[in-house]
Amino acid sequence: MIFALIFGVAAFNSCRVQFIPAYDAKIAEQIDVTAKAVDKFYLGILATTTAENGGRAFDKFAEQYVDIEVELNSLLNKNKIRPLNENSTRICEITIQLWQKYKQEHKDDNTLSDGLIKLNNKTFSDLFYAMQVAEKGKALVNNPPE
Amino acid sequence: MSFNINEVSSGMLSAVKGAVAEDWPEVKSTAEQFLQNKKERLVLLAELRIKGELSQAKFESRLLDEKLILEAELNALAILSKAIAQNAANAALEILGKAVNAAISAAL
Repeated sequence: MIFALIFGVAAFNSCRVQFIPAYDAKIAEQIDVTAKAVDKFYLGILATTTAENGGRAFDKFAEQYVDIEVELNSLLNKNKIRPLNENSTRICEITIQLWQKYKQEHKDDNTLSDGLIKLNNKTFSDLFYAMQVAEKGKALVNNPPE
Repeated sequence: MSFNINEVSSGMLSAVKGAVAEDWPEVKSTAEQFLQNKKERLVLLAELRIKGELSQAKFESRLLDEKLILEAELNALAILSKAIAQNAANAALEILGKAVNAAISAAL
């Protein structure tokens, strides 16, 4: 009887619920680094090229598109393998979906207007903000389970 | 064994209220920022269509993208809500655990 009670006390003390994964500083850092890379990519196109005379032909930027997609895929995989992390995973999937879509648009048109550069940059900036909010949300948890 | 369920329930409710009240402003300010971001994107999008930089088909395609962006933002808000729910549930469980432990210790 006494052992059962002591066991009950111990069980109650360790009873905590968990709905989201713990905050991961490395993922938060990678989100920040990737967000800056995307911002630099679009601001760089805007500052150093014009749409005249094929100055924004897709081939000139293909490698940078791949580099950023690799970072996004890496973020997706890191999010996917964490339990209880379906919300962050979905944000990453949407970001990759739109990255691939806008890359294909650039490839099909073989140019990119100033306005579209600004809109694309704003779109990804807002998606990275959503990712950062999601990571910050995990840091809101008090005494997360170890 | 002394275990007053009314007192414990009241304590658990206070713990939940306290946890939610503490974290709620985070959800509100984030939702407001998402709305502001959406407004800025829609202004840019409308300007591009008006200037003729975007065809009608691409304009409509971008409007569909807005649905995906909203889904991403709702997923971010879901994490904030889950964090609040987790804090509230654990605060309530802690009160219950302490009350049960106190009752068991008294019985021993």
